[in-house]
Amino acid sequence: MNVVIMGCSRVGSAIAGRLAEAGHAVTVLDTDPYSFRRLPAGFAGRQLVGDGTRHRFLEDAGIHEAQAFLALTQGDNRNILASQIAQHIYRVPAVVTRVYDPYRAEIFGKLGLRTFSPTNVGSEMAWAALFGEGPG
Amino acid sequence: MYIIVVGGGRVGRGLALELQALPDHEVVVIERAGPRAAELRDELGEMVVRGDGTEVALLESVGTSRCDLLIALTDNDGHNLIACQVAKHHFGVPRTIARVDDPLNERLLRLLGVDETISAARAVMAQIEATLPEHTVVPLLPLHGSGLQIVDLHVQPDSPACGKAIRDLELPQPSLFSLIVRPDGTPHIPTGDTVLQAGDEVIAVTPEDAEPQLRALIATPDEQEPAWEPGGAP
Repeated sequence: MNVVIMGCSRVGSAIAGRLAEAGHAVTVLDTDPYSFRRLPAGFAGRQLVGDGTRHRFLEDAGIHEAQAFLALTQGDNRNILASQIAQHIYRVPAVVTRVYDPYRAEIFGKLGLRTFSPTNVGSEMAWAALFGEGPG
Repeated sequence: MYIIVVGGGRVGRGLALELQALPDHEVVVIERAGPRAAELRDELGEMVVRGDGTEVALLESVGTSRCDLLIALTDNDGHNLIACQVAKHHFGVPRTIARVDDPLNERLLRLLGVDETISAARAVMAQIEATLPEHTVVPLLPLHGSGLQIVDLHVQPDSPACGKAIRDLELPQPSLFSLIVRPDGTPHIPTGDTVLQAGDEVIAVTPEDAEPQLRALIATPDEQEPAWEPGGAP
């Protein structure tokens, strides 16, 4: 499938590498070309410098043909804005959004985005590491 | 009425000053940048709160659930959209207004439930257009949700509409000519029998996509383009 990833963060580059390895057509968007250094060696996807909250860069990245869009920058609001553009303007079927703030993750989850909160995930993992089990 | 303004830039500050002067209005201005918030606090007092107006906890602390109107005026479309969405969907704020920087985002914001969008780019363009004599159709105000807008029409000499009664014009439907200002500056409420003349200014309600059709009616037909032959004499 065609996947557009906004934000070549650690998570962004890791999932981009995995998806490309699995044979998907991946385009990674980042405003800072220096971020692309995080991509694994031999990354078969496309790298594009641009702001994923702007329609023209999303179109350059192939958003019209994308089956999935992942918003993985450090900014919650940027991720939510870009994801809603992808979902409502370009009708991308699967939109995944990283939202650090658990409250916003929940609200926008209810509004139809597939959100996940690293804050929640991280605290559960810290708990498990501390007690050797899931949250009590 | 309780109004929350997100973003204490020049527009936010000006608006807060005006709202503050109205009786029976409670106003809170949320500003994220510390130095700017302190500066505003010196001028506007207690109504200024420092914090992130897209954050649930901060909005909770200023009592957003009893807010009647939230106006998001930061210079970032994402912040403005999300402040309005959180206000509307989490706190049940009945009415939200957002400033939009990228005109392409206006449609998205309305689609997502923002009641009113304000585009500085569009407002500036409309003002400039209004001062250009060759602009015959100047959009003044979109009537959100209806697909209609209010426009200012300048009837040009020798245009197809010139010398015709309004009822005889083939207007895009639905259209309503609400007001005519004659070249001598007198305003009239037109009827179907009113005959248009060059120099009339018409305030009308028309479909949003009807500008080309209206322009064809009230603009002077283009003079024949002089023929130009490649490689011809200079």
